[in-house]
Amino acid sequence: MKELQELARKLLTDGTVGVVIGWEEGPRGIRPYFCTRPEDADKLVFTPRCVHNLATYLSPRRSNVRELGKVAVVVKGCDNKAVAGLVRETQLKREDVVVIGVRCGGVVLDPYGPAELTANTVADRCPGCDVREPHNTDHLVGELPPPPPGEQRTAKLMSELEKSSPDQRWDFWIEQLSKCVRCNACREVCPMCFCERCLADKTQPQWIDSSPHPRGNLAWHLTRAMHQAGRCAGCGECERACPMDIPLMLLNRKVAQVVADSWGYKSSEDPAVAAPIGTFNKDDPQEFIK
Amino acid sequence: MPRIGVFICHCGENIARTVDVKRVAEALAEHPGVAYSTDYKYMCSDPGQTLVKQAIVEHKLDGVVVAACSPRMHEKTFRRAASSAGLNPYLCEMANIREHCSWIHEDREEATQKAIELTRMMVEKVKYNAPMQAIRIPVEKRALVIGGGIAGIQAALDLADGGAEVVLVEKEPSIGGHMSQLSETFPTLDCSQCILTPRMVEVYQHPRIKLLTFSEVENVEGYIGNFTVQIRRKARSVDEDLCNGCGDCIASCPVKKIPSEFECGLGKRTAIYVPFPQAVPNTPTLDRENCTLFKSRAKTGKDACMRCQKACQRGAINYNQQDRIEEFKVGAIVVATGFQLYKITKEQPRPGISGYGEYGYGTVPDVIDGLQFERLASASGPTAGKILRPSDGKEPKKIVFLQCIGSRDCAKGIEYCSKICCMYTAKHAMLYRHKVHGGQAYVFYMDIRANGKGYDEFVRRAIEEDGAKYLRGRVSKLYRDGEVIKVHGFDTLSSEPVVIDADMVVLATAMRAQPNIEALAQKLSVSYDKHAFLNEAHPKLRPVETNTAGVFLAGAVQAPRDIPDSVAMASAAAAKVLDLFSADELEREPTIAKVDATICTGCFHCERVCPYGAVEHKEIRDRKGNLIKVIADVNPGVCQGCGTCVATCPSKSVELQGFTDSQVFAEINALMG
Amino acid sequence: MSDNGNKQHDNSFEPRITAFVCTWCTYTGADLAGTSRLQMESNVRIIRLPCTGRIDPLFIIKAFERGADGVIVSGCHPADCHYTAGNYHARRRFTVFRELMDFIGIDARRLTFSWVSASEGTKWKEIVDETTDRVRALGPFTAYHNLAGGAEEAMAGGVQ
Repeated sequence: MKELQELARKLLTDGTVGVVIGWEEGPRGIRPYFCTRPEDADKLVFTPRCVHNLATYLSPRRSNVRELGKVAVVVKGCDNKAVAGLVRETQLKREDVVVIGVRCGGVVLDPYGPAELTANTVADRCPGCDVREPHNTDHLVGELPPPPPGEQRTAKLMSELEKSSPDQRWDFWIEQLSKCVRCNACREVCPMCFCERCLADKTQPQWIDSSPHPRGNLAWHLTRAMHQAGRCAGCGECERACPMDIPLMLLNRKVAQVVADSWGYKSSEDPAVAAPIGTFNKDDPQEFIK
Repeated sequence: MPRIGVFICHCGENIARTVDVKRVAEALAEHPGVAYSTDYKYMCSDPGQTLVKQAIVEHKLDGVVVAACSPRMHEKTFRRAASSAGLNPYLCEMANIREHCSWIHEDREEATQKAIELTRMMVEKVKYNAPMQAIRIPVEKRALVIGGGIAGIQAALDLADGGAEVVLVEKEPSIGGHMSQLSETFPTLDCSQCILTPRMVEVYQHPRIKLLTFSEVENVEGYIGNFTVQIRRKARSVDEDLCNGCGDCIASCPVKKIPSEFECGLGKRTAIYVPFPQAVPNTPTLDRENCTLFKSRAKTGKDACMRCQKACQRGAINYNQQDRIEEFKVGAIVVATGFQLYKITKEQPRPGISGYGEYGYGTVPDVIDGLQFERLASASGPTAGKILRPSDGKEPKKIVFLQCIGSRDCAKGIEYCSKICCMYTAKHAMLYRHKVHGGQAYVFYMDIRANGKGYDEFVRRAIEEDGAKYLRGRVSKLYRDGEVIKVHGFDTLSSEPVVIDADMVVLATAMRAQPNIEALAQKLSVSYDKHAFLNEAHPKLRPVETNTAGVFLAGAVQAPRDIPDSVAMASAAAAKVLDLFSADELEREPTIAKVDATICTGCFHCERVCPYGAVEHKEIRDRKGNLIKVIADVNPGVCQGCGTCVATCPSKSVELQGFTDSQVFAEINALMG
Repeated sequence: MSDNGNKQHDNSFEPRITAFVCTWCTYTGADLAGTSRLQMESNVRIIRLPCTGRIDPLFIIKAFERGADGVIVSGCHPADCHYTAGNYHARRRFTVFRELMDFIGIDARRLTFSWVSASEGTKWKEIVDETTDRVRALGPFTAYHNLAGGAEEAMAGGVQ
């Protein structure tokens, strides 16, 4: 923590950046913090409640952040994949951001809840994480804690669903997706959802019904999962932001699994690694094609 | 409210026998937006087209749907008819109720219902059709021909005679290519230089051809009709304008023992040299790597020797000449860079290719390849046309020719047939017998591929008149044994092993792509196969075009090829280019992609998927010149209209004219409504 | 079955199948099937696009929403794409989409993907007949068609 605070203080003092985006202890719990003054650097913390993916503030939609000046952002390994995604898709120049990687042993799902990291409180993406020490960063701070406890609930639920019948899966998904109120929180929080005019808002023609009913909800979530294929960083913020507790990561993880199984691609912290949708191999698998 | 005209064709009995065309016309007449609906026996006939034209005018139609055969047959016909009646041609569509309906279903009720649905679908699509104009791009009527071998020469002459300006670039000091190294050519045995050199001189003298030898393509930008190419004029150390080709410099050069590339290492040349006496241009070139002056300059900073400059009465020698870049604007590019021969050595220039250890990896003396044999047979070659062994200058009494060396051999990494070797081996056997009357030629072959005009007769001549012994089988091993080369082979037709004490062995080695041709191909955005032969646009129907609009292929750059076919291909490429140049502007179908700059976020997924590289970066600035964003922009000259970008764009910021989202949406809805 | 000389017009279910095909290969192959007078089931309606690269998964979703019981997507064989690479991108896109649909619980047998070249008229007929038989056996896609759509239901024409 001290290391992070001193680094932030230095970056702000010598004018390298105009703002360091990190986390602070707020009145209810951990929240994102935009540190613009060196004297406030002590407010920056890194604890297991730092679940937020701060890379979302680097999205081009957030012009108010850009106005603060050059940005330094504190990222965990999972968050860093989103930074790489933004650079890969020309939304951010790597040299325009200072990436401060922080060594991580897992975070809890609820930043306002208990701070203790257990198998019950841990965020679903953490168990089995392979980027606890972020790569491709400008700075790397913190000690490497032990690996996170528990196991991925999503992975378990996914394999259970795959074993059930198509009808059972359909019933499960229609029940889940009927809850969606089309608040678009998932879209707002996702760093990779940066389209100026989202397809869901297109009315001429209207591919995706906008009213919060199963037909349009299904089209929306299928389309979003497709658009995230090979781009999703797996940070899980969409699921955390959803006020209706829809298991969105189940969809994203399924797509990521298909992408990995078909073409060996896993989301990467390196922007030079080409995304799988947009590239191809002459010998890509095609058993499903007659 | 749209006013669409619907025309149901009977196509004689082809449609009307199965589809109740009158009922279809009636059903469509009720459809919202249809102002006129009728049926007719033959819509594509003159009266049929007149019906459409009259209806457009009388009923003030703003869209036309002809339900008939496949649009692949008559879309152009009806679009032309609509256009002549004053309706934009792109407001006319066809519904396929013949190939996709009347011809494949027997049940009248089902076929009629389907025809109604298909026609309704096209009516709904046409409601979203927008008038379009064919795209016009200006065309620079100058062609770049890369490569000065027989294919490049033929293309350049055809183009220049056809009225186009030509820039012919050749990397060697002279044009002529491999054909200039041959002694005689099959199937006529006429002298190669005799038929080639007049062409070379014609190129040199042609007012519309700019000949750049000892030059290479440095960079290519732009697109069809509007390429900007940069050519590197390498430094010859000789001023081409001052030099008069007297040759005094060559005579004065003290360095005389450099192995000559033209003679395939069988002869020597000087450091300042002309590759062969009939070279075009006749300007000498100084080989700086082997020149005494340049070697001493590199070592001590001082200039030694300088004899050629002293000998030159025109002051044309310039030791300080630098490479220079010249830029040209061209409308089309013909790639005619030819081939090189495979070598059996251990070291190979690309991974995946192996040498022939069983033949000594090229270390056995008097084992030569086809081009080397040509130089021996050549009257102006290192032996003045006598067939003599390179090792001791003696006349060989027995020559063994091995066909398919490298070619058709998956183990060596080259699985294709090189096409010319059966013919030139027969030619070599014949030339050998003509020059060495007592000599015996043996040819080890797998098959004889002699399928051109007069080709089979030519090979039979070698066997029947010139006594060549053809043995069907391969040679397992050859090695030096005293004065001879022991050749161990097998004759499969008699099932006997064969051992021959050969005085010389000639290998018919595979034809391969030129070294580093991939770099040139990448500059041109032309794809190539795993052997680095450049890819044609379609193997049967578009053999001289590539998938890059405006870039054409001629000769062995695309695949192994003999002289007649190379010349034919060169003329074909020239015809394609002249076709392109025949109008001042290039007209293209406007069904291309277009980006909506207001919503594009500049993620460039489209750029990544575009097979043609048609997506460019465009800067959007405010009035003060501040950069707001960098977005995608589609080059209308390059886009071929596949629409992959449209399906890939997450926000649908790019649309494909003629197949827009609204149009497809309308079609889907119409089918189910 | 495939030879439909006598189709009965009873009230048994006839599936509605939309086919999204590319102009240069499958559409031409279907034309060839027509020229060769190959008789086939009449349930398929073709929507022509320049390339399979143009086919968006949204087309399939919308087709099901609007009443299709089955969908066919067909284009050029790999390496033969008229635009060189559109079908490679489509292949990747639909690899993911198909698995996603299956995960959602949509029977993968309602979706057919094929490569049909311009010379494969017979193959096109087989794809049409086989898909029609298969989807007919699966029955109407009421689960999708009955999805509540809210106020749009009336405007969209609802379900037939």
